[in-house]
Amino acid sequence: MWETGFLRKIISTITGGKDSRESALSTSDEKLIETFINENNESAFEEIVSRYVDKIYGLALRITRNPNDAEEVLQDVFLTLAKKIDTFRGEAKFSSWLYRVTVNASYMHLRAERKHETDISLEDYVPYDENGTLMGRVASKDWSERPDKALFSKEAMEMIEKAVKELPESYRVVFHLRDIEGLSNEEVSEILGLSVAAVKSRLHRGRLFLRDKLSDYFYEWSR
Amino acid sequence: MAMCKDVVENIIGYIEAELDDKTLEELERHAGECPECQAFVRTYRRMLELCGKLRERTFVTPQIRRRLKDFLKSQTRSK
Ligand SMILES: [Zn+2]
Repeated sequence: MWETGFLRKIISTITGGKDSRESALSTSDEKLIETFINENNESAFEEIVSRYVDKIYGLALRITRNPNDAEEVLQDVFLTLAKKIDTFRGEAKFSSWLYRVTVNASYMHLRAERKHETDISLEDYVPYDENGTLMGRVASKDWSERPDKALFSKEAMEMIEKAVKELPESYRVVFHLRDIEGLSNEEVSEILGLSVAAVKSRLHRGRLFLRDKLSDYFYEWSR
Repeated sequence: MAMCKDVVENIIGYIEAELDDKTLEELERHAGECPECQAFVRTYRRMLELCGKLRERTFVTPQIRRRLKDFLKSQTRSK
């Protein structure tokens, strides 16, 4: 289970080794894991690595907000993956299992670095006043009709990244998995060990907070 | 009578078309007359579209791959 030849294979994947990967492109993660475990088929593992390297790093970076920490998490996760892939028994979706390993490694890192922020609650965050009327001059700051060229520019993307960074940690991770990675409420619930209702609630508050931040940034940007 | 608050708190159901007819009708009656809510819904949708784009970005540089490789190598040696 922890063979040098096997690890060498992973290493060659990281640096762009292709071998017989093409044939594996349309195969599901679970099928690849099964092939790897039952037949010790290393190219199946290579495909898994190449599918997930960006996702693991992206999620770790989202949680830790620090490239050095994210890189260490990436290394931890690949090591765990190489050592413990045979403990994956298919009772969950493989991607959920791997995201969970990544989330846990990221949190461990935050704790180890004593950087775990006191998480701010957004449960009472609302964009309307006590009469139930929207605040913040939503219409006069409306940026939705700006051309794609501006909104999909590198500069605008950086602003969105900056706004997402300001979300408190427990909302940020939900937002990342749902709205950036595009996972379902059920998958996020499984990965984070939260109820579906809690996922929905965090997503809702997080999006409201983010929409306000973005409107401020885009408004400042255009002035 | 629906208020901005109702549009905001039902926004997920609204954009995912999961509201019952009665609620939907009430929200639309309010939003039809409320430029703030119209702008809220438009910017909310646009935000989701933009955030989906973030998925396409990659932050894993060749240097990060190189160091990952070195790290895993050092792990085989110590075993
Ligand atoms: Zn309104």
